[in-house]
Amino acid sequence: MLLNSVMKHSAKRHVIQAERLTRYYGSRVGVSNIDLEIPPGQVFGFLGPNGAGKTTTIRLLLGFLRPSSGRATIMSRDCWNERARICQQVGYLPGDVRLYPWFTARRALRISGLIRHRRLWQFGHELCERFSLEPTLPVRKMSRGMRQKLGLILTLAHKPQVLILDEPTSGLDPLVQDELLRLLKSLAHEGHTIFFSSHTLHEVEQLCDQIAIVNKGQIVANESLASLRKQASRSVTIVFSAASIAQSIEPPSVLRVESRLGAQWDCELIGSPQPLIAWAAAQPLADLTIGPANLELVFRRFYHSPGKDL
Amino acid sequence: MRGLLLKAIYEVWLVTLLCGLALLLIKALLTYILPQVMTGLSEIFEQLPFVKSLITALLGSETGEQITARTMQAFLWVHPVVLALIWGHEITICTRMPAGEIDRGTIDILLGWPVSRRQIYWSETIVWLVTGVCVISLGFIGHRLTAPTMPDEMRPELDGVLLVMVNLFAMYLAVGALSLLISVVSNRRGRAVAGSFGLVLASFLLNFVAQYWSPAKPFAFLSVMTYYQPAQILEQGDFPWRDVLILLGVASVAWLVAGEIMARRSIRTV
Repeated sequence: MLLNSVMKHSAKRHVIQAERLTRYYGSRVGVSNIDLEIPPGQVFGFLGPNGAGKTTTIRLLLGFLRPSSGRATIMSRDCWNERARICQQVGYLPGDVRLYPWFTARRALRISGLIRHRRLWQFGHELCERFSLEPTLPVRKMSRGMRQKLGLILTLAHKPQVLILDEPTSGLDPLVQDELLRLLKSLAHEGHTIFFSSHTLHEVEQLCDQIAIVNKGQIVANESLASLRKQASRSVTIVFSAASIAQSIEPPSVLRVESRLGAQWDCELIGSPQPLIAWAAAQPLADLTIGPANLELVFRRFYHSPGKDL
Repeated sequence: MRGLLLKAIYEVWLVTLLCGLALLLIKALLTYILPQVMTGLSEIFEQLPFVKSLITALLGSETGEQITARTMQAFLWVHPVVLALIWGHEITICTRMPAGEIDRGTIDILLGWPVSRRQIYWSETIVWLVTGVCVISLGFIGHRLTAPTMPDEMRPELDGVLLVMVNLFAMYLAVGALSLLISVVSNRRGRAVAGSFGLVLASFLLNFVAQYWSPAKPFAFLSVMTYYQPAQILEQGDFPWRDVLILLGVASVAWLVAGEIMARRSIRTV
């Protein structure tokens, strides 16, 4: 009761919400105590290695799976009990898109339109042109990338308020990937909420405002991209004026020296660059290079975080 | 619902047409050759007495000492090829959802649409019923096409044939509903098809064996074939109320249970 009323109040502000969402597969845990709060217009990245629980979370959000405990809502509607109503406003792209072999873009949009009681052909046709997909080509004759494009077209054609995309760029060539990311950015700009599941850091970094990292069925981090960037270390290369100086000087506490080769140090910057700059000003340096924040190291750290073995 | 039905039509029209046409041809052929079989039947029975027992067992009922021309007409409706076509068609239709959809991975697209599972179940039920009527009707048409070639004393009466068709459709409903039930608890279509075929095969064999082997008789009531008696209908001309009601009862219970399971189960991909 209490959980329901708290969620109802909070769900007014959040398009997607999950509280202590847990799903067991027999004795095995699929996901455990997942908490999510995604406000309108946010592009939410859901990152994790294979088998971490990303797809299980999505299937719980779409009402395919009944939660073992906890609850999820989309637009204040219960994901299990009101699945059909939720899907009116949701576009879902599965991770491994399997389409009916007799589908063509035209037929699929017609059927989808009849089910959604909307005319989808006009925008669907625009999307076909944007993704360079022939509208009359049947799925049985399509390559994997083409099937992915048709899956995307069906997901986007009804201009849903909420997009749930499970690894949407898989199978797409780089040009189409860029096109898709541009399209998603524009949709986010228009206020659509996007739940973007991926195991590719690069695209999540390009697109998302907020990122949750899931590992072994649990969310191990849920932070804004800016906050994660702050945690990210930077690579630093220092070249001293002479090799003998490089050997004798002690590094400051903000630097972790990974290798010393002649007059050069290759280091990792821990924390803010200001103390480093102040220290460097007093040293006989020939060169100093501070690289961009390396998010990959942060993600690797979370991916390898011990957590609970589920 | 219209969209779901259109999707289903795209998927089932070919198999329905092929099964229907095959049944039309088989029924036409069987109806045509039955009088010729009947001509030499007495001699066959004298030379090979077990053939009579086999036919009696296949008809699934005690036909008395004499197998009459009218009784033999029932053979058209219990011929294994006829039953195999009808069952094959309906098992194909009834295992499409959810087992077939999960198996080929298209369930994500289906459930991604704003339709409730009950709506999906209803649309599948409509498709199963309508295609069943089509297939069985094509079988009836095949039978009627060549019925005029039969001698007058053998020609089946339309009333009797229609009663047999009602009984056949009631069995179709029972078998289909049980297939739906097996399908909604399966994630693999192969398993659902195997389970459904196993069920009808066991049913057929149980009914057949029970005519010969007395220990099997107490279990004959478990076979859906026990409630499908074209020989008796054609011989006596009475509507088999009890059998039809039992078959409809089995169909209703299985269909309702399958619908509830479909609405409540978690859908996992395999």
